[in-house]
Amino acid sequence: MHYRRPGLDRLSHALLALCCLLFLLPVWLAFTASTHTLDALYSQTASLWFGEAGWGNYRHLLSGSFGGLGTDVLTLLINSTIMALGIAIGKIAISVLAAYAIVFFRFPFRRLCFWLIFITLMLPVEVRILPTFEVVADLGLLDSYAGLILPLIASATATFLMRQFFLTVPPELVEAARIDGAGPWRFLRDILLPLSKTNLAALFVIMFLYGWNQYLWPLLITNDADYLTIVVSLKRLLTSADGLVPWQNVTATAILAMLPPVAVILLMQRYFVKGLVDSEK
Amino acid sequence: MATLRLNGIRKRYPNGITALHGIDLSVADGELIVVVGPSGCGKSTLLRTVAGLESISDGELMINEQRVNALEPAERDIAMVFQNYALYPHMSVFENMAYALKNRGTPKDEIRRRVTDTARLLDLAELLDRRPRQLSGGQRQRVAMGRAIVREPQVFLFDEPLSNLDAKLRVQMRLEIRRLQKRLGITSVYVTHDQVEAMTLADRLVVMNGGHVEQCGTPMMLYAQPATRFVASFLGSPAMNFLPLAAHRDAVVLPNGAQVALPDMLSAGRAATLGIRPEHLVEAASQPEAAAVLDVTVEMLEPLGADTLAYTRLPGLDEWLVVRLDGAHAAREGQRLSLAFAMANCHVFDAQGMRVPVSNEASVSLREAQ
Ligand SMILES: Nc1ncnc2c1ncn2[C@@H]1O[C@H](COP(=O)(O)OP(=O)(O)OP(=O)(O)O)[C@@H](O)[C@H]1O
Ligand SMILES: [Mg+2]
Repeated sequence: MHYRRPGLDRLSHALLALCCLLFLLPVWLAFTASTHTLDALYSQTASLWFGEAGWGNYRHLLSGSFGGLGTDVLTLLINSTIMALGIAIGKIAISVLAAYAIVFFRFPFRRLCFWLIFITLMLPVEVRILPTFEVVADLGLLDSYAGLILPLIASATATFLMRQFFLTVPPELVEAARIDGAGPWRFLRDILLPLSKTNLAALFVIMFLYGWNQYLWPLLITNDADYLTIVVSLKRLLTSADGLVPWQNVTATAILAMLPPVAVILLMQRYFVKGLVDSEK
Repeated sequence: MATLRLNGIRKRYPNGITALHGIDLSVADGELIVVVGPSGCGKSTLLRTVAGLESISDGELMINEQRVNALEPAERDIAMVFQNYALYPHMSVFENMAYALKNRGTPKDEIRRRVTDTARLLDLAELLDRRPRQLSGGQRQRVAMGRAIVREPQVFLFDEPLSNLDAKLRVQMRLEIRRLQKRLGITSVYVTHDQVEAMTLADRLVVMNGGHVEQCGTPMMLYAQPATRFVASFLGSPAMNFLPLAAHRDAVVLPNGAQVALPDMLSAGRAATLGIRPEHLVEAASQPEAAAVLDVTVEMLEPLGADTLAYTRLPGLDEWLVVRLDGAHAAREGQRLSLAFAMANCHVFDAQGMRVPVSNEASVSLREAQ
């Protein structure tokens, strides 16, 4: 909608700017705080500008273990990235295949299969977390990437979304492909996946963020500092220090923890736009 | 080069609907068969069972006298053009046309050669890099044709390929399809519900109704000698006029009370309906030898340019009697007309709608209306 009223234009821009500021303020506070020394943070009221420690805090975090975590931030970031990527890719692979089977193949109990998957949507992860822990422990997957990733990659939500998208694919397209000699795998690879590009990109971002922000599950199954993820470590930094909370470390870690998700969103955003422009109609 | 033969093909859908009740049809090599019929009569079902997209419940499907009932669509070596074209939206025109060849493992340079040749044939050479959404409706239609042609299939199947185009383009593409089909000599089955398309394209026409074949033959034969009342009413625009007949000793009685003697009719009692096409009703004045039987009142006129259609009222008949007058005719609404017709142009149907043979030489002899 576009109204030709300059006053309204200016007002809405002002509102937009204000909201942006509000959203940015905490990030800004965290960012500036991460450049102060611990003493400075405790001796003055919250400063809105950079401190004298500068990049020193970051260098310290990246160079060695700190805050009793037994590892450096780089390892944490790598662990989190592996887990989030594993979850996002695994979820997409499984849900695409499940939705493909449900939508395009006629097999007995197909509807039942769909409903079974759908019903699991109604069980929150927390409900089944203890039995899952047992299983993972029995399989000897504690303190491993597989243990971090595998239990989280079945996704009813993603399956459901992919199913809804697949249902919109015109049946003639499927038939044309059949006549053109494309078997099930070819059809998936050559036609269905390219058509789902936009959806896959969106799903990837959502699932990556979901994986990145996992807290309870990694906390439960990892003791080894080598498998600690950055989100878990943040909480640990707050509590493990006896006495003063090392705010400069906490904020710096938080800022670093934000970077990969932001990068993923920026990267994928290009695909949304491209996908939208490309495959419209 | 292929022949296609259907032996008693039946199709029963899982939901219990029987869409085809035993279709027998034989298509010669290089022939273009057009299947017409009202919506829901099973035209698409017929095409889809031939394509292999639907399984055959009963009967035999032979391509080149080989039974292909159990073959996958791709193995039957047929190509199909869909009503909405079903082009792959994310592929360029080239890729769309090349896809089937690629799946068959055709060498790259041969694919390139065949696609460019076909594109030249269809005037698509400039468009090979475009995506389907960057094409006009007519161009998309041509790409869909190209995708079928490039494979050099045994049989072409068309399911209402022109119904998404505007009227002018439809006429143009109709001629194009006819030209290509003749030139390539590929055996084709073409489904449409547009009877003009059907008449103009067909080598032979198949009229379907309710999962049965009503009649099969050349377009002119079906037009001139419809085997059933259904075929008679389906072909021709405006449709044939039907006059219910009442039996009266050795003659039949028209709705307005006039008696028509049907001299050679085996059993006048069988005749239930008399069919006359609008162009076969002429003004009595122009045919002095035929007695005027039908005195009608013009209720509405539809000038079409070359012709004028007159919707007239005949006493005793509920429907309009449609007459095709010359475009220069000075008819006015409310005017009375005296119409005559020759028996040779009449079609007589029995109560079941089957054609009752009437000798062509029989002249209509009329008696006074009582
Ligand atoms: N997949 C299906 N499952 C069950 N019944 C079907 C299916 N497809 C078609 N039918 C039924 O079979 C009959 C024939 O349908 P078909 O699509 O062949 O008609 P058509 O002649 O192509 O009509 P139109 O001119 O509207 O395309 C119809 O009664 C239809 O309801
Ligand atoms: Mg149809």
